[in-house]
Amino acid sequence: MSRLEAKKPSFCRSEPLTSERVRATLSVLKGIVTSCYGPAGRLKQLHNGLGGSVCTTSQSAALLANLPVTHPILKILTTSVQNHVSCFSDGGLFTAILCCNLVENVQRIGLTPTTVIKLNKQLLSLCTSYLKSEACGCRIPVNFSSTQILLCLVRSILTSKPACMLTTKEIDHISTLILRAFLLIIPENAQDHIILGKSIIVPLKRQRVIDSTVLPGILIEISEVQLMKILPIKKSDSFKVALFCVSLSGDLSDTGEGNVVVSYGVSLEIAVLDQLLNLGRQLVSDHVDLVLCQKVIHPSLKQFFRTHHVIAVDRVGVAVMEPLSKVTGTRPIGSLDSISPSSYGSVKDLCTAKFGFKHFFHIIPNEATVCSLLLCNRNDTAWDELKLTCQTALHALQLTIKEPCVLLGGGCTETHLAAYIRHKTRSEPEGILRDDGCTQTELQLITEAFCSALESLAGSLEHDGGEVLTDGKYGHFWSVQADSPSVVNWPDLLSRCGCGLYSSQEELSWSFLRSARPPFVPQTCLPCEATDSAGNLTLDCFTAKLSGLQVAVETANLILDLAYVIEDKN
Amino acid sequence: MAAAGSVRAALQVAEVLETVVSCCLGPEGRQVLCTKPTGEVLLSRDGGRLLKALHLEHPIARMMVACVSSHIRKTGDGAKTFIIFLCHLLRELRAITDKEKDSFFSENIQTHGRHWKNCCRWKFISQALLTFQTQVLDYVMDHYLSRHFLSIFSSSTKERPLCRSSLEMLLRAYFCGRVGRNNHNFVSQLMCDYFFKCTACESGFEEVLELVDDCFVELKVGVTGLPVSDSRIIAGLVLPRDFSVYCPADGDIRIVIVIETIQPPFSTFGSEFILNSEAQFRTSQFWITERTKAIMKYLQKQNVKLLLSTVKQPDLVIYCAGLNGISVVECLSSEELSLIQRVIGLAPLVLPQASSQYELSNTAMVKFCKPFILRSKRYVHLGLISTCSFTPHCIVLCGPVQGLVEQHQDALHGAFKMLRQLFKDLDLNYVTQASDQNCTSSPLIYKNSRESNDLPEIVNGSIQRPYQDTVVKNKDELAKTQTYLKAYSNLVVPSVELETNILCSTPTVTLTATYQTDATLRCFSPNKARIMDDHEPFIESNSANSTTENTRREISYENLQVTKNGRKGSILPVRDKSLEMCTSQSYCFSSVPAGCVLPVGGNFEILLHYYLLNYAKKCRQSEETMVSMIIANALLGVPKILYKSKKGNYSFPQIYIRALHALQTNQPMISNQTGLESVAAKYRLLTSVLQCLTNILTIDLVINIKRQPQEIYDQDSDEEL
Repeated sequence: MSRLEAKKPSFCRSEPLTSERVRATLSVLKGIVTSCYGPAGRLKQLHNGLGGSVCTTSQSAALLANLPVTHPILKILTTSVQNHVSCFSDGGLFTAILCCNLVENVQRIGLTPTTVIKLNKQLLSLCTSYLKSEACGCRIPVNFSSTQILLCLVRSILTSKPACMLTTKEIDHISTLILRAFLLIIPENAQDHIILGKSIIVPLKRQRVIDSTVLPGILIEISEVQLMKILPIKKSDSFKVALFCVSLSGDLSDTGEGNVVVSYGVSLEIAVLDQLLNLGRQLVSDHVDLVLCQKVIHPSLKQFFRTHHVIAVDRVGVAVMEPLSKVTGTRPIGSLDSISPSSYGSVKDLCTAKFGFKHFFHIIPNEATVCSLLLCNRNDTAWDELKLTCQTALHALQLTIKEPCVLLGGGCTETHLAAYIRHKTRSEPEGILRDDGCTQTELQLITEAFCSALESLAGSLEHDGGEVLTDGKYGHFWSVQADSPSVVNWPDLLSRCGCGLYSSQEELSWSFLRSARPPFVPQTCLPCEATDSAGNLTLDCFTAKLSGLQVAVETANLILDLAYVIEDKN
Repeated sequence: MAAAGSVRAALQVAEVLETVVSCCLGPEGRQVLCTKPTGEVLLSRDGGRLLKALHLEHPIARMMVACVSSHIRKTGDGAKTFIIFLCHLLRELRAITDKEKDSFFSENIQTHGRHWKNCCRWKFISQALLTFQTQVLDYVMDHYLSRHFLSIFSSSTKERPLCRSSLEMLLRAYFCGRVGRNNHNFVSQLMCDYFFKCTACESGFEEVLELVDDCFVELKVGVTGLPVSDSRIIAGLVLPRDFSVYCPADGDIRIVIVIETIQPPFSTFGSEFILNSEAQFRTSQFWITERTKAIMKYLQKQNVKLLLSTVKQPDLVIYCAGLNGISVVECLSSEELSLIQRVIGLAPLVLPQASSQYELSNTAMVKFCKPFILRSKRYVHLGLISTCSFTPHCIVLCGPVQGLVEQHQDALHGAFKMLRQLFKDLDLNYVTQASDQNCTSSPLIYKNSRESNDLPEIVNGSIQRPYQDTVVKNKDELAKTQTYLKAYSNLVVPSVELETNILCSTPTVTLTATYQTDATLRCFSPNKARIMDDHEPFIESNSANSTTENTRREISYENLQVTKNGRKGSILPVRDKSLEMCTSQSYCFSSVPAGCVLPVGGNFEILLHYYLLNYAKKCRQSEETMVSMIIANALLGVPKILYKSKKGNYSFPQIYIRALHALQTNQPMISNQTGLESVAAKYRLLTSVLQCLTNILTIDLVINIKRQPQEIYDQDSDEEL
């Protein structure tokens, strides 16, 4: 009988945002995420005092997963960022910083939550509709006939993760690998809707990054002892494959709910082994060349296979079962007797390979939509970071296929968007205020808060004490090194804007981002030649950033709307 | 330790609760963040959920929360209004006692004797409240308020076509109180679309609502990490798991449901399988394999393309299914299974004993079955072909955090509950009110059925006398049973007792009362028509049927049946019959017809306030006047809070004065609100609050026990089982 226990009363607090403690914790969190942002971001070392490995990172996924958060409001913020990251992989820090900035800025104004939320929502829909429109000045359509833009996208993602500890050369190498891995999983004969294959990341730690490589097909790691047992593979242009999902170890599968009584002298092991050997005989007579098993193969059966020149690999694990059955065209076999010939598949080639200190069994399929990305890095933490980054980049590429455009990175999208919103709310406030019962003054206040949140987000890319500027024509983002002379031939000090699209050769009337500026009309519609000519752009994934923006504003609205916090102390 | 249970203490508690819930009330209400002991966070504006999350310690507070949750379970709405209204009632009561205290007690000493005296007073007031609830409230509702009612149906014909725009208004008003400010319109639009997509034909919406309310958890898919605006409606049913085997198939697909493993086990539960030789083992295994294959082959021959299984099937079955081109979905929960069965009316497959040739009977067709990917998670998407009026659709609810998704899910579920209530007729007499409660507490009926055996005899015995006596005496008898009824309704679980009483009193009336007595009865009690509400149907039936002797005998015979069955202990079916009779006939007397609505923004409260004040002016008894005044004043609490933030022309005093003026001059009330709310829900809320208040008032002492709580066993029900 369970013991009933009286529940402790909960703890209830009103107007949580007004308390000093909450503000302090929020600004601590903001400090943490802001300092991680961008290529020059600082790394965070997370270690548990009770033991376990040390994690060095600047990525939101790793950071927030390991960061213990106690206050409910912070929990809302971090979980919403984590959920965003698990959907889109990219843009976690962007979301977190924007949300913090918004909450902070709006609180300073002191308007009622109702007005704030309404207007924030209006401004958000203004942003999204602009970003989705053709006229958007910070969006580049992706031309799939050249890899230039995709490569820039991957490179931008790699550069923005300093904890991977990569040199420029290594970044180039890895970005080409990622792009190649991505191109390998696109099926060749695409019909109306594409089903992408899978790229499997194979760990190879404590090796040089340059040794990383991409191979079509699947790599299965095997021990050296197993490798010795595998006979030299005969030359052939096709191998017949059988893939088992049941255990071939000879254990008795479940016997039902009742009892099974075995008389003395009856050996079930022998009976089962007989059955297994029968199975082996059938496989041999069907001319199977390769037997793969998810679970364990009985040693006697293995021996039997070896004598009949059949390669057997067991314990491949459930993770590779799906890609295996996909590339080989087999149906995972769940029966120990009488196998239908239709369940067999085939592969083009088999070989064993050694990378670093590990041995692999390499399965090369006829039609490759599965590839293996062998990823090397110097130490464990850097490898973990690199793996996450590669997954992010691959995901970003997939999202780009769905929505074929990218956004300008390096802070330019944010400043441009802020300039656009400022201009829009100044020039046609009636359209935004339609029937909300809000005044123009309120709109101007919220717009200022919203835009400065975006701008200080862009500004947090600069960590080395430099100045951040914006121009008066495109609304792009420029940064100057710290110890530069105060005044002032700007074109000499600046080289290119944050995304690398424009150079400082033009006269663009720069001004400090933090200072007050007259609103201007940012130039919309990117000229085509600008995107083609520029070699090395910094780009962001469109879908991830757009959704990040929406999630950030929605979460900020949620937090601002809180009237009470009830904490269950049980 | 004992503490005096007093209005003062109750008011303190209620005021604290009021401050918490009033911040979430109405379209301007804000969100509350709750954390669970597991560390999850939840956003909520649902009063019931908040009150539960507080885990209150104070006994009176706990009682209030219990009352609120039982109300919520029935209606799905109104927790916040409940607390606010209760708080205002207590405030009014205290104001009255304070006044009296000043006049009567100059000394401020709390003597023991005074406490008891006070308790007596509360007892009186609570009785007065109850009389008010049963007599005055229904009367006022029926006579005055009903002329202001609007209907959600676009015409009042038999098939009652739903008016989409008014449904939208109703839902928007509902969601204004339940979800975050920027999502009102979106969620209510989503719900409206969903409702109309699911309703195949005009008339079947009640069935649809019932099904959706029962199975809502299975009909939604929650997705976190996406903006709320990505939520959408999908045709068909989405199951939160992947195919075990997926074989693409075109056209209509034949499906079967199995609830056991297809591969026969070695031994079944409670049996022993004795293995004497290896050969025996081999043959039995061979047989198992062959049999499994045969069954799968058979299914394939019958053109089955999809197998839904409630259990995990062995590898062999999966393999054979793949070979035969049958897709398999395993591990369906019992709720999912029952939903599918309700929609397509398909019974689970009974595995054929021998490799039979006959046609498979338990199959159904689906339009499609395919994998469905949401946020890189795979789901099974089934296009069920419905056999009822519900066209299956699923809602995909998106939100940045789980807490928000859950909030929307709860709000949608509550909205379906609310609609379900709205489309029921609400009878204002007391009998049917009780029957509503009975539906929820059906297990209790068994418990009390034994008690009911004896009751008829007693009542029957008492009938003998008035039968021979005068008509007046008879009337007294009736009044007695009436008070009996009322006394019972005081209790927390009055429904069952009430029910048995009704059953017993039914034969009394029909057996003894002659046509003449009925007539005199009606003459005697024109004023008390409300008290007699529950007897009226029977009187009516008598007067209708008494033209011939035969029919009356039939009735009495039927009633005898009732008592007989009651003895057997299976009261349930019979009660339904007698109740049906009773409701069908009382229909024309007093009821709030299904689909009655009023504009939101305190319209109901102001109207009732106005008419109650009018009523109070007219009535002679001081008790009644006082209670009416208290309730009338307390009613204004809700609109006061709703208009708190409004200024100028839309402030509460302005609106109040305008409404009163309109009522006095018999002009239509002008409302600036666009939403609608259900009248029946408001009425139910009012009665629940009054019941809660009488409960609080009748407590004189709170005894604090310091002991581990013990589990309470329902001994009676154990015996019955």
